[in-house]
Amino acid sequence: MRGGVCGATVLIAALSFALSSLALAQDSRESVEADVSTRRIAIESDFSGVRILLFGAVENSTQTAPEDGLYDLAIVIEGPREELIVRRKSKVAGIWVNTEANPYKAVPSYYAIISTRPVDEIARPQLLKWLGIGFDQIKLLAVGKFEEGEEKNFRESIIRIKETQGLYRKAEHGVAFIGSSLFRATIDLPANVSVGEFSARVHLFRNGAYLNSYNTQLNLQREGFERLVYTFAFEYPFFYGVAAVILAVLAGLAATAIFKRD
Amino acid sequence: MQIYLPIAELSVNAFVILGMGGAVGFLSGMFGVGGGFLMTPLLIFSGIPSSVAVATEANQIVASSVSGAVAQWQRNNVDIKLGTVLLIGGIAGAILGVQIVKVLRELGQVDLIIALSYVTFLGTIGTLMLIESLNAIRKSRAGEPVAARKSGQHNWIHGLPFKMRFKRSKLYISAIPPLLLGAFVGLLAAIMGVGGGFVMVPAMIYLLRVPTNVVVGTSLFQIVFVTAVTTILHATQNQTVDAVLAMMLMVGGVIGAQFGVRVGQRLRGEQLRALLAILVLGVCARLAYNLVAMPGELYSIGPAFGGH
Repeated sequence: MRGGVCGATVLIAALSFALSSLALAQDSRESVEADVSTRRIAIESDFSGVRILLFGAVENSTQTAPEDGLYDLAIVIEGPREELIVRRKSKVAGIWVNTEANPYKAVPSYYAIISTRPVDEIARPQLLKWLGIGFDQIKLLAVGKFEEGEEKNFRESIIRIKETQGLYRKAEHGVAFIGSSLFRATIDLPANVSVGEFSARVHLFRNGAYLNSYNTQLNLQREGFERLVYTFAFEYPFFYGVAAVILAVLAGLAATAIFKRD
Repeated sequence: MQIYLPIAELSVNAFVILGMGGAVGFLSGMFGVGGGFLMTPLLIFSGIPSSVAVATEANQIVASSVSGAVAQWQRNNVDIKLGTVLLIGGIAGAILGVQIVKVLRELGQVDLIIALSYVTFLGTIGTLMLIESLNAIRKSRAGEPVAARKSGQHNWIHGLPFKMRFKRSKLYISAIPPLLLGAFVGLLAAIMGVGGGFVMVPAMIYLLRVPTNVVVGTSLFQIVFVTAVTTILHATQNQTVDAVLAMMLMVGGVIGAQFGVRVGQRLRGEQLRALLAILVLGVCARLAYNLVAMPGELYSIGPAFGGH
């Protein structure tokens, strides 16, 4: 295997010598592969967020040491999409009331950019836009109509609120090379994260030029007691309510029995 | 220790929640009140969504009032017939209240209405209690006897139709006032997450003229069932009952109440009421401030409804 790859590289190198520089860039260019440490993550009752390791390698790396900084990586993690309603308060008769509401479709519940350095240093804005890297590139589909100039405010508010909730995040030095080709990144998922399919897109750059991307998935699920309560509450709401009442009655009676002995 | 609340969808410190349950339990034991009107605002202040706070608190009140109800039952202090009439009204009120919460949630106004209801109720009751207890303190200092209310007088309630005989309460009154009173308290339970004893008890004494020895028992009887029905209705209509949160509040609450009762027995009635009035007005002021003060973030995001 190894010999085969080496042979092919030599052959391509020899060929490209004779060909144009464009061909050289295309044929011997580096590519990236990656995976996550856990594909299925469980949210349990002691869940207070989780850190996942993303690791990968740059194939055909010409870097000799991690300090070379020849390559840049920008990883975009997107959580399951959800419908949202964004509301804005204004002052009515002296108190703050929600006066405007706009529904949004398919808003990423989670969006993280993890990169070797700030993304605007990695590549030009057009390229970042084309690859969909950056909070500005998040697709937020508003359903209704806006008053003039309001759409921008609403859009920014989603990003701002999600950022304060820790659901939209940037880690500008979150990817590090370990060897000449091996890299690792950590993905932080806070406790309030939505469950479902997450996608991770790993983009490789060299000197501001885009080389290659790799996509992988991870699945976040509710497990254990937490999952039980949640499923019970949403799938059998009536029985959940009855169970909550029975628990309360038992708790109340148990307390009396315990404290009577004193 | 962090615990993830499955319905509120946030991670909280278990000791903070237990402590809150304990503190409110202590106060409710000390003052002899349910505590829902203190617990719900506290939960909202600590970041629990209003609709979850209300529904979960209704669940907790079941636990905190069931033992009292059983004790009163054993002492034959429950007028079952009157309690049932109040309960029928209460269930109707709870059904209406839960439906109102559902609609308000869709409109995005549930937080506002819950806060406004609290400001109105706490403001009114706190002021009345403060005036009454200060008068009582003043009179007892001046050496005047505290005037007992005249009883046995007939009022407008006796002119209403559909009269029923309530043997245990020695009353022959129309069924309409207890039905309406029950409905009003049921509405409060559903919208505010309170037992409603603070409305029920004075109304039974002064309006229905129920003898004081059956007032507490009958009101507790009604509260247990109305909060139980409210819990089930919120669970089915709004999916807002957080059982994990409720359990923690219950544990903290029952322990706190045991100590509160002991402290309360050493304090004088009118001083106790003045203290409670100040506390109620404090919570009211805090809620009112939140409504009036410019919020740090004008925008809010919430889940879309109708999808599931």
